[in-house]
Amino acid sequence: MRPILLSGHERSLNQIRYNKDGDLLFSVSKDKNVCAWWTANGERLGTYAGHQGAIWTVDVSPNTVILATGSADNTVRLWNIKTGDCIKVWEFPTAVKRVAFSPDGSKLLAVTEKRMGFLGSIAVLDIAYGDGEGNNLDVQAEEPSLRITCAESKATVAGWSYMAKYIIAAHEDGSVSQYDPKTGDQLENIQAHEFDHQINDIQFSADRTHFITASKDKTAKLISARNLAILKTYPADTPLNSASITNKKDYVILGGGQAAMDVTTTSARQGKFEARFYHKVFEDEIGRVRGHFGPLNTIDVHPAGTSYASGGEDGYVRIHHFDKPYFDFMYEVEREQLRK
Amino acid sequence: MSRLGNRADWADDEEFDDPSALPAQEVITNKDGTKTVISYRFNDDNKKVKVTRRIKTTTVREHVNPQVAERRSWPKFGTPPGPTFDTTSVGENMVFRPSINWKAQAKEAEKDGGEKGSMKDQLKDKKVKCRICSGEHFTARCPFKDTMAPVEEASGGAGVDADDKEAGGLGAGKSSYVPPHMRNGGAAGGEKMGGRFEKDDLATLRVTNVSELAEEQELRDLFERFGRVTRVFLARDRETQRAKGFAFISYADRGDAAGACEKLDGFGYRHLILHVEFAKRST
Repeated sequence: MRPILLSGHERSLNQIRYNKDGDLLFSVSKDKNVCAWWTANGERLGTYAGHQGAIWTVDVSPNTVILATGSADNTVRLWNIKTGDCIKVWEFPTAVKRVAFSPDGSKLLAVTEKRMGFLGSIAVLDIAYGDGEGNNLDVQAEEPSLRITCAESKATVAGWSYMAKYIIAAHEDGSVSQYDPKTGDQLENIQAHEFDHQINDIQFSADRTHFITASKDKTAKLISARNLAILKTYPADTPLNSASITNKKDYVILGGGQAAMDVTTTSARQGKFEARFYHKVFEDEIGRVRGHFGPLNTIDVHPAGTSYASGGEDGYVRIHHFDKPYFDFMYEVEREQLRK
Repeated sequence: MSRLGNRADWADDEEFDDPSALPAQEVITNKDGTKTVISYRFNDDNKKVKVTRRIKTTTVREHVNPQVAERRSWPKFGTPPGPTFDTTSVGENMVFRPSINWKAQAKEAEKDGGEKGSMKDQLKDKKVKCRICSGEHFTARCPFKDTMAPVEEASGGAGVDADDKEAGGLGAGKSSYVPPHMRNGGAAGGEKMGGRFEKDDLATLRVTNVSELAEEQELRDLFERFGRVTRVFLARDRETQRAKGFAFISYADRGDAAGACEKLDGFGYRHLILHVEFAKRST
């Protein structure tokens, strides 16, 4: 496995996303650029310039036409992926920490920060795709169709469940809640992680029936989207920044490392800057991939499960195309199952 | 431009025999579908080199989604457009083998690596050592082979003598126990307070008028001819690391020390006359 190193950013990575076909990878970092890369060879398709602050989050529409980014300059921007043009800017009172397209791409949620007297909130924006030929993409709704205010604890990350039936949000205090995307009511709320340990990432399985959370309390949890039941727990020995569920093989990948402020006081070996692979069902750690020399901030997996990419505090994105041993590995029970 | 325009003179036709001209590239299609390409070039020494390459062309057909195929033809944009080597590179190859007990395996691999390293280190410092003079040659080739007995035997013998005398005096002649300070002939000494710096001064020589450029190993080589040297201390300047002009040489056996003292006092070493005497115990 020879990783492809992408060094298009000057500062630490905040989020990376594959598109639905897995041929493009989008990365955002604390510098003000968004980069698009071809995953096959690591060539850069282009950069999307326009943000005035650190970009916290990126998501790509399911048809790979529109890219959404949320930034510390208090805006959500939509971009034409093909041309690199900014097609829409929404202003918010505070920074935007997470954007996510609904499974059909018709809605976009934006999680805003709690700051300057404003409570944290989740805004839902309607997205239009013009005439379907890539024209008139800039015709978008001006106002969010829904606003959910998180009064108790601000939401840090959020996403859409299967069929966009629920909005799942993870909070600063370690809880996970379920909202109705039509009315904005909170349906359920559980304390999934230790109290006051922020949840840094939430990523859904391919069918969006369950999701994985990565928390500062050094664990990742697999949670059902329907009733927020905790299905699996993956313990690690370091605060986690990101977690992802792989397709094709039943693994999860966790990434973390101690907080960026403590990095200089420890060596790279102790820093635990490795991507950890766990078996999704058996909860065993089955391997690690090292390479970054800073904490891993974000991990994403190719939708077909053939590669994964990680973005680190060190400013690098590494794309790893899995090779044979990865696909061959099986538990004894799995092998027996296969024989029958 | 006409041919005549290119050629100044008809005599330039001889350029076909010009040694600096290279024959044209040849391409031969083989029966098995491969191609042989023969080309010529000059190497670094300005010599003509024939390069024969056999090339097999395989077409890899990949089925992709039409949308993906369409996206591949997208033009690049942004800053800087086009392929750049500074943004994309390939990392070093790594082995990723998922396994249930990967932790144990990783530890084992690390240990194996560590052991290999230590063995290498051990062998690195392994040298041939003469048993007579401790020089870097086989004992059989030692220049002192005929004149001196091996060091260990000599000092061992001395040790037995001492044991007989002193242990007997203690009335414990039959016991195999030897007090630490009497082991190894009493000269090597047992564990004492003060550690290795507090040595038995009985067999220690004080050498003065040593050259500034002297090295401990040189002194050791010089003094080892007279017996087993247990310690060489060359006083050095703390800052310049140069020799200060005096040294202490400790022998395993006082007899050897006496011999060395006699022979080397007044010995010319690096343009200076060595002054060798028994060290006086500092109080």
